Amino acid sequence: MLKPILLIEDNPHDLELTLVALERSQLANEVIVVRDGAEALDYLHRRGAYASRAEGNPAVMLLDLKLPKVDGLEVLKNVRESLSLRSVPVVMLTSSREEPDLERAYELGVNAYVVKPVEFRDFVSAISDLGIFWAVLNEPPPGSFRLTRRPAN
Amino acid sequence: MLVQLHGKKGTIDACHEYIVNKEVLVVAERSIHSLPAHTLTVCAREPIHVPGSIQPHGFLLALDESGLVIMQASRNVRDYLEVELSDLLGQCLDDLLPDMDLAQRLNELAEEDHNPYYLGDTRFQVNGRSHMFAMFAHRFDGVLIVECESAGTAAMSYTTMYPLIRTFVEQLQHGSSVEALCLLAVREVKRMTTFGRVLAYRFDRDGHGQVIAEEADEGYPCYLGLCFPESDIPAQARRLYLANRIRVIQNAGYTPSLLEPEVSPLTGRPLDLSFAMLRSVSPVHLQYMHNMGTQASMSISIIVDGKLWGLISCHDAEPKAVSFQTRTGCELLGRMLSLQIEAVESHRMTDRRLSLRQMTVQMLAAMADRDSVIEGLLEVPDVFLNFANASGGAIVSSERCDLIGHTPPRSVVEALVVWLSTHAEDSFHTANVSQDVPDLELKNYIAGFLAVPISELHSHYLIWFRQERIQVVNWAGQPTKVVEENGTLNPRQSFATWQETVRGFSPPWNVLEIEGSIELRNAVRGIVLRKAEEIAELAEELKRTNKELEAFSYSVSHDLRAPLRHIAGYAELLNDFEGDKLSDRGTRFLENIGDSARFAGTLVDNLLSFSQMGRAAIRYSDVNLAALVEAIRQEMAPDYAGRKIEWKVGPLPVVIADAAFVHLALRNLISNAIKYTRDREHAIIEIGSEPSDKEDIFYIRDNGVGFNMEYVGKLFGVFQRLHHVEEFDGIGIGLASVRRIIERHDGRVWAEGEPGKGAIFHFALPKQRPLSTQKR
Repeated sequence: MLKPILLIEDNPHDLELTLVALERSQLANEVIVVRDGAEALDYLHRRGAYASRAEGNPAVMLLDLKLPKVDGLEVLKNVRESLSLRSVPVVMLTSSREEPDLERAYELGVNAYVVKPVEFRDFVSAISDLGIFWAVLNEPPPGSFRLTRRPAN
Repeated sequence: MLVQLHGKKGTIDACHEYIVNKEVLVVAERSIHSLPAHTLTVCAREPIHVPGSIQPHGFLLALDESGLVIMQASRNVRDYLEVELSDLLGQCLDDLLPDMDLAQRLNELAEEDHNPYYLGDTRFQVNGRSHMFAMFAHRFDGVLIVECESAGTAAMSYTTMYPLIRTFVEQLQHGSSVEALCLLAVREVKRMTTFGRVLAYRFDRDGHGQVIAEEADEGYPCYLGLCFPESDIPAQARRLYLANRIRVIQNAGYTPSLLEPEVSPLTGRPLDLSFAMLRSVSPVHLQYMHNMGTQASMSISIIVDGKLWGLISCHDAEPKAVSFQTRTGCELLGRMLSLQIEAVESHRMTDRRLSLRQMTVQMLAAMADRDSVIEGLLEVPDVFLNFANASGGAIVSSERCDLIGHTPPRSVVEALVVWLSTHAEDSFHTANVSQDVPDLELKNYIAGFLAVPISELHSHYLIWFRQERIQVVNWAGQPTKVVEENGTLNPRQSFATWQETVRGFSPPWNVLEIEGSIELRNAVRGIVLRKAEEIAELAEELKRTNKELEAFSYSVSHDLRAPLRHIAGYAELLNDFEGDKLSDRGTRFLENIGDSARFAGTLVDNLLSFSQMGRAAIRYSDVNLAALVEAIRQEMAPDYAGRKIEWKVGPLPVVIADAAFVHLALRNLISNAIKYTRDREHAIIEIGSEPSDKEDIFYIRDNGVGFNMEYVGKLFGVFQRLHHVEEFDGIGIGLASVRRIIERHDGRVWAEGEPGKGAIFHFALPKQRPLSTQKR
């Protein structure tokens, strides 16, 4: 069975558009959606509402940078510091490449980031590439590869 | 080497006292400045106030006041009182004065006044014989000194003196210059004393005396304007003249009468005659008088502000008795003259001070007006120069060096500033640059300067220059001294005019000008300081605003971008899902929605990267512009594929700049050139550089659509476009970015264009990294 993709996104529109993009990339992986950082950590650590979920880490986490409660960077830090989670590939979703937090995300060992493009087609293709790379090509050594994808000009 | 005796009948200035000196010293220097250093100041040690003898036109008794006992007496008492000196010592003076209660009369002497007090014509009764003498007494150094002169003239006293003085006072009030005042005094003294010649001279700052007023009988050569060297009056004589304002030598050929015993039994020291009328003078001084054939002399001190300002000096070819009344009158006259000169000088000082203040205010007003020290001063160049009576001036800051009027060339002024910053702690002035600043080639241009630093941190100076004033000094005799074989000093024998030309000096800087320049400096520093504070405040404010702006940008990036994304995304999805149900119009509307959202997204993205450009640090490195231009051409090749563009790229230098930023700027400019030549069949794009001293200037010329110079001001603004979007795409941020990038490098950008003919864009980068960026 394929590992699921964990999508952490608070904005309902972005969520919907991302899901459409994932759908169009025709990945077979299950997509698990959580709406903030705290919930993401609950899921990852199998606690709270997710205490009883089946064992196993997601194939890839699509993590929005700005999140309510616990933000993306904190989630990332937690994941990288946790022995059982640190090999999970994390792709950061950001609103703009001018984000000052991007550098920090790299320091914390993000595997890739995606600037959500205004152009929907670009977004679909970015999500597809990432999904295929991380979800289908199984697990590469953690932190060994960084793919950055910029929106086409 | 003896100076030839001058044939003229020379009678001059017999008041100067010389000191015997065993040290050998010959003055050979000719420069005015070398004089004080070389004159016989080393010999100014003999205590002239304790000569141990008196002039014999009177006799002297030194008393122990407690019992009025005579402790010392001059040997010539024998001639006056017909009594042996040994018989007199130990006697009570009161016992010799049958008509007077001496102890009672002594109460009239003021405690602090050391000047001889006239006790009246007094009868002495000694050994049964009576003698009348004019008697004077004064206390000094714990001793009561009684001096007696021949009696008889005292009676005329104040009744005749008063009208003379009254007239003089009235005349004095009308004298406007010190020269006029001195001439009045000289005439009055001559009338009162009948000396053959009376002159007044003032001392300059080096102590040389110049004759400024003279009145002389026939046969006396004119000495008006002549200078007497400082060495003519040794330092301790000057000190004595400050305390005791009048001195008389009635007969230069006198034989001194010694005091006995030599040492005062009261003090254990030789008797101090500082205030004694009969004090004997130095033998060298008598020689000095003899060399001039002067037989009698008198001098009156002119004291201004507690300093010996000058002297009124009288001489005569024959011995001359000067009565006590005349002396008193002359002394009083001297005091009045002193006061009047003090008033005139202080008035003059006040006037000058006031005018300096006014000029300071004018300059400060100009500075405030222009909001700049330099610009303000340049606005009022005449005031700046007049302020210090200068013929030229320089205003020097780290960035610029502005010259006004007659100055050395810029390079020399700059060298002077370097010299000042290492040699002068604070303000510095000289009236002779070849003497004080010999290393710099200043003397070819100016002779003196006054410089004040106006910044505590930087080498910023205000400098005033004065040119040489060639001065001809007429000395009263060549200022040379001769030492005899036996080691005694012989003053010069000729007092005939000896002319000296003094070169290399500017008029000296007076104390008011120096004080004024420091006041101006303080005011300027105040302005600069206040301005610095204002700038710091502004910078703080700007920092805060920038922070706010940054926060705003961030929120724009995140919050504005998301809804635009959603609009575009949903528009597309709508088209995907329901497109076939829409009419053609509906499909077009939907496309417009998507296009607009995407365009808005691009605007936001560009705006963010533009604001980023203002914040990001500039990372300096060598940038090879030729390579950069080539890379950009390659990069852009797809944009002009199929078009015919003639590239004319000239040689381009390597500059020190931020490679990424300059790349972006060049790309924007080249991309514009490509874009706006789109409609040209034969497009020409020319890229080159022009050399300049301080900056590298680059240009990019095209033969495209150009622009109207009327709008050149809008060209580099954010979101300013000079063409319709249908004609040329773009959002109007490219040139704004170019300007921001170049200005971040402290460079400049400008453009020229003509509609239909093309445009040329210039940018200039400073060759040296400016100080302000080196700190970053």
